[in-house]
Amino acid sequence: MSVHELLVAPFAYEFMRRGLLSAVMLGVSGGLLGCVLILRRMALMGDALSHSLLPGVAAAWLLFGTSTAALFAGGLAAGLLTALGSALLSRLTRIKEDAAFGSLFVVFFGAGVALISRLPTRISLGDFLFGNVLGVGRADLALAAAVSGATAALFALFYRAILLETFDPVFHRATGGRGALVHMGFLTLTVLNLVAAMQTMGIVLALGLFLLPAVSAYLWCDRFAAMLLLAVLLAALGSFVGILASFHLGLASGAAIVLCLGLVFVVSALFSPRYGAVGSLLRGGRRLPGA
Amino acid sequence: MDPPDQNIVLVRAATVRYGRLTALRDISLDIRCGSATAVLGRNGAGKSTLLRAVLGWQPLTSGEIRIGDAHPQHARPRLAYVPQRHAIDWDFPITVRGVVEQGRYPALGLFRRMGRADRDRVDGALEELGIADLAGRQIRMLSGGQQQRTFLARALAQGGDIFLLDEPFAGLDLFAVEELAHILRNWEAQGRTVLAAVHDPAIALRCFARGVLLDTGLVADGPIAQVLSPANIELAYRSEHCVHDGRGASAAEARR
Repeated sequence: MSVHELLVAPFAYEFMRRGLLSAVMLGVSGGLLGCVLILRRMALMGDALSHSLLPGVAAAWLLFGTSTAALFAGGLAAGLLTALGSALLSRLTRIKEDAAFGSLFVVFFGAGVALISRLPTRISLGDFLFGNVLGVGRADLALAAAVSGATAALFALFYRAILLETFDPVFHRATGGRGALVHMGFLTLTVLNLVAAMQTMGIVLALGLFLLPAVSAYLWCDRFAAMLLLAVLLAALGSFVGILASFHLGLASGAAIVLCLGLVFVVSALFSPRYGAVGSLLRGGRRLPGA
Repeated sequence: MDPPDQNIVLVRAATVRYGRLTALRDISLDIRCGSATAVLGRNGAGKSTLLRAVLGWQPLTSGEIRIGDAHPQHARPRLAYVPQRHAIDWDFPITVRGVVEQGRYPALGLFRRMGRADRDRVDGALEELGIADLAGRQIRMLSGGQQQRTFLARALAQGGDIFLLDEPFAGLDLFAVEELAHILRNWEAQGRTVLAAVHDPAIALRCFARGVLLDTGLVADGPIAQVLSPANIELAYRSEHCVHDGRGASAAEARR
């Protein structure tokens, strides 16, 4: 196979160009969000959040058909309902936030699966869950561009507030920062990006595009800005290679992207000299000396 | 800066309730300018709540707190806060200098770039606390004392004159405790006002000139030796054996 056949020929197809663009753009914003998610220990919450989008998307589909705007609004409503609902539950009852989130998201997910079984048969649950790059339309692409651009712009504008709120929320609030606003804005951005990534990555796999580049970058970087940058680069690169792999090997696009990023993650986790497992074993099973 | 021997933090009948729990009951006290004061009491006695109220981000249910003649929220540039050590993720990808630079963020706002004056302040704070040569280190690669000094340097870089420290001695080894005590005594000598939540009365006796003893209400305040008299300690710490968590005591209080 020539280099041309490997790298260029696939993009003679319009759906491949759209799929690639959409995946790379969402990789950029997903990498940014992923860094904050893992540093705030919200990785599993992000996973729950992504599952909870399903009923909103399915209901929108039932009511309005394939309109991108409706799917987007439905997913957003379901995601925000889960986030706000669990925040309320944990405040008003003795349930802790993780349990509230866990309980709400399975109920939402179940409702979503039930709704989808009522959809016309030609639409498969699999496309919702795992994505289908063939289905990326013009409107999806515009949505991905808008969401990704907005995310990147907000990260650039509010970099200091995001860093403080992630690193030391008490200090942020003590110095007059709008902690709650940053937090809610962040959750909203996460839901927006998950919905936008649904077409290419699917609900279940979308979070992989967020978390894996971030965790990999975390294993190499000692500076927040460097971690953000590396995560973005890895996510964009992984999306590119993953889309190509999915074309040549006939794999589901979301799975192919997650597997590429997964490879980077495993290599980082094993071989990062300072923070990897092999280095730690060579030092006698200890992490680098600290406090 | 206000002249010494003048009161700088004025607390008047301050009460804080979280729902049915009373965290702070009817506290009135003055903190003198340029003094180092330990805020004492068992878990749930209201130490952290008092610090947060002075910082202006814990709203009072009733009463008033003033910094000089301003509301705490308007006195923010004067206030610097040092969080508890266990509130920090030491694996965070950030260097010592990165942390100290955060001290300039409130003054810079969201958009202004760090200028020459800001960098000088950061350098000055790193120098003063003797961590200039560690500036490039990730924060886990430090000893406990160096970690504490990093956050003190961030507070210095803020440029305020009132320092609020939440359990600064918690989790420090003996050497680091002495080091921190030395730093705080220096700060006091330089006219900086320090208000620190301290769990351990023995450490408070060694390191602070003045004390405030809380049991949701005010038990005593004044010179540390007087505040920590056996009778006061008995009064403030008597129910420690039945306190299981931070809220236990105030919960028991609320049920009465």
